Amino acid sequence: MDEHVLLVEDDPSILEVASLGLEQAGFRVTATGDGRDALLRFRQGPFDLVVLDVMLPSLDGLEVCREIRRESQMPIVMLSARSELHDVVVGLELGADDYVTKPFELPELVARIKAVLRRSTAGPLEGAISIAGLEIDPAGFSVRKGEEDVALTATEFRLLLELARRPKQVFTRELLLELVWNYDYLGDSRLVDVAVQRLRGKIEDDPAQPTLIHTVRGVGYRFGQG
Amino acid sequence: MPLRRRLTVVFMLAVGVSAAALALGSYFVVRHNLMSDSVASGERQARRNLAIAPTYLDQGTEQLLAAYARGGAAFLTVGIRRGRPFSSRFMGIRQVPAGLRRIVAHGELGYERADVAGIHYLVVGGPVGGDTELYFFFSEQALRHDLALLRNILAGGVGILVLLAGFAGALLARQTLRPVGRASDAARSLAEGLLETRLPIEGRDEFGSWAQSFNEMAAALETKIADLSAAQARERRFTADVAHELRTPLTALVGEASLLADHLDSMPPESRRPAELLVADVGRLRRLVEDLMEISRFDAGQESIHAESVELGALTAATVRARGWEERVRIEAGEVELTSDPRRLERIVANLVGNAAEHGGKEIAVRVGRDGGPFVEVADRGPGIPREHLPHLFERFYKADAARSGGGTGLGLAIAQENARLLGGRIEVWSEPGEGTRFTLRL
Repeated sequence: MDEHVLLVEDDPSILEVASLGLEQAGFRVTATGDGRDALLRFRQGPFDLVVLDVMLPSLDGLEVCREIRRESQMPIVMLSARSELHDVVVGLELGADDYVTKPFELPELVARIKAVLRRSTAGPLEGAISIAGLEIDPAGFSVRKGEEDVALTATEFRLLLELARRPKQVFTRELLLELVWNYDYLGDSRLVDVAVQRLRGKIEDDPAQPTLIHTVRGVGYRFGQG
Repeated sequence: MPLRRRLTVVFMLAVGVSAAALALGSYFVVRHNLMSDSVASGERQARRNLAIAPTYLDQGTEQLLAAYARGGAAFLTVGIRRGRPFSSRFMGIRQVPAGLRRIVAHGELGYERADVAGIHYLVVGGPVGGDTELYFFFSEQALRHDLALLRNILAGGVGILVLLAGFAGALLARQTLRPVGRASDAARSLAEGLLETRLPIEGRDEFGSWAQSFNEMAAALETKIADLSAAQARERRFTADVAHELRTPLTALVGEASLLADHLDSMPPESRRPAELLVADVGRLRRLVEDLMEISRFDAGQESIHAESVELGALTAATVRARGWEERVRIEAGEVELTSDPRRLERIVANLVGNAAEHGGKEIAVRVGRDGGPFVEVADRGPGIPREHLPHLFERFYKADAARSGGGTGLGLAIAQENARLLGGRIEVWSEPGEGTRFTLRL
């Protein structure tokens, strides 16, 4: 493994124990407790993933998330208190891939990180898919819409791939949580909803009138007309 | 009858009765005077007629009547001379009232009123000499007509006065009772929670001081309630703050404990047991803080529902499987589709089944179905819960057995009930010591 994780958390105890835990799980960890410092470290990079607390001094986690997304599609896992779930939604809308709520168990954090990393590394051994004006290449992690490259996060890419691989099939949110996020049981369905919104924003001509990813009311989502 | 109408009616009655009394009084006074005047002038004329009568009577009764007619007589004459009646046109001796004839027979001047052919007459009669009686019929038709007119005018006047009194009374009553209406509106809006409601203070009368007292009461109530809700909000915020502040060190603790847990095997025996206890207690503390945070979110009204289409039976089965209880739990589930929040349903079911697993012995029966609404029933054959504890089971930190601390936080059922309520349902409990306990979630 030896993936490099940027860990941003303002509480020194949590920072230290999470660093220890991630290191014992086999990651290389760069730890910082400050938002501006985190951005600085990020730009010095390279990292494979960022673990980002919402509440940070100098520059809060949501701002850091926004800045990172401006420059890169690097996987981001947010840390949040359950009482700040509103921040979680904002974080997801800014492009975070997943979140873990405090207080969390280390294995939980490690599992989430591994799931996100798996999305961004293990490309399925399949040929490129060409559908509805999109060129999806699993091997190269690239999507082209017409002549233009579309920059997707690993989560968005995986979501698009799962949907486009079986067009016209209806996916429930639970199934997508399992396929894309590796939640085997009752994940947060808002992960799916927010990711679909972001994905539409990138690939649809008019995200308000989606023609590629359709909502099936009360059930889930579907690629293409049913 | 509303007070306003009652006041109006009383006012109308008072005005009506006094006006009617006044009108009747003046009518009778006027009538009496007019009648007396009529009699006086009738008698005057009669005396003149009687005085000139002997002069003409000797020339015959016809001469007398002709003389009266020449004088421009505004009366009709009836006479009897030596037992023989004579009269002007339209009249006869039969029209003379009998009572009057008796008086005249006594040789006196008298009068009486009589109606002849629908016309009112004043009849004045008197003797002339010893052998003649003369009766003069003076028409009182004009007088009666005037009186009737007066009567109508007075009655109309009384009627108009009563109507005016009605308007004035209604106006007055409204004016008087307006503060009462306003006060009752104000009291109602106070009851509806508009604690800043006040009455305008107008004038220095009883209503004014009443309004002032009302306002003082409202102000006192407002202050009291504001204090109370501020105190409650402070208390809840404190709970939320405590839980929130505990979260950060707790996250560190949980992480540290899980690092320790990975290395328990390599620890020397004397530190291993304390480390094991530490790991377990950190877990307990974590559950407690999470429950406290959850309940304070309910208190703050911050919880929201993420509703989706849910199959209740499958959700229940998955919940039981995910917790590793499937060997002890028998599930009997029909197909129950509903739109609800699966995470909250899962929380409730896990809590109920978990309680049964902890306190209820080996066999747990879970039924999912629909009777009126979807329900999940969790029944065990455990020792049951004494009746006196049942009403308190859903209270925070309530423990049926004070000595048994158990693995729970004391908040599980309270949270489950809050969740059920948020989903528009409720949890019911049935228990019989010796037979078992049954919790039912109804949606």
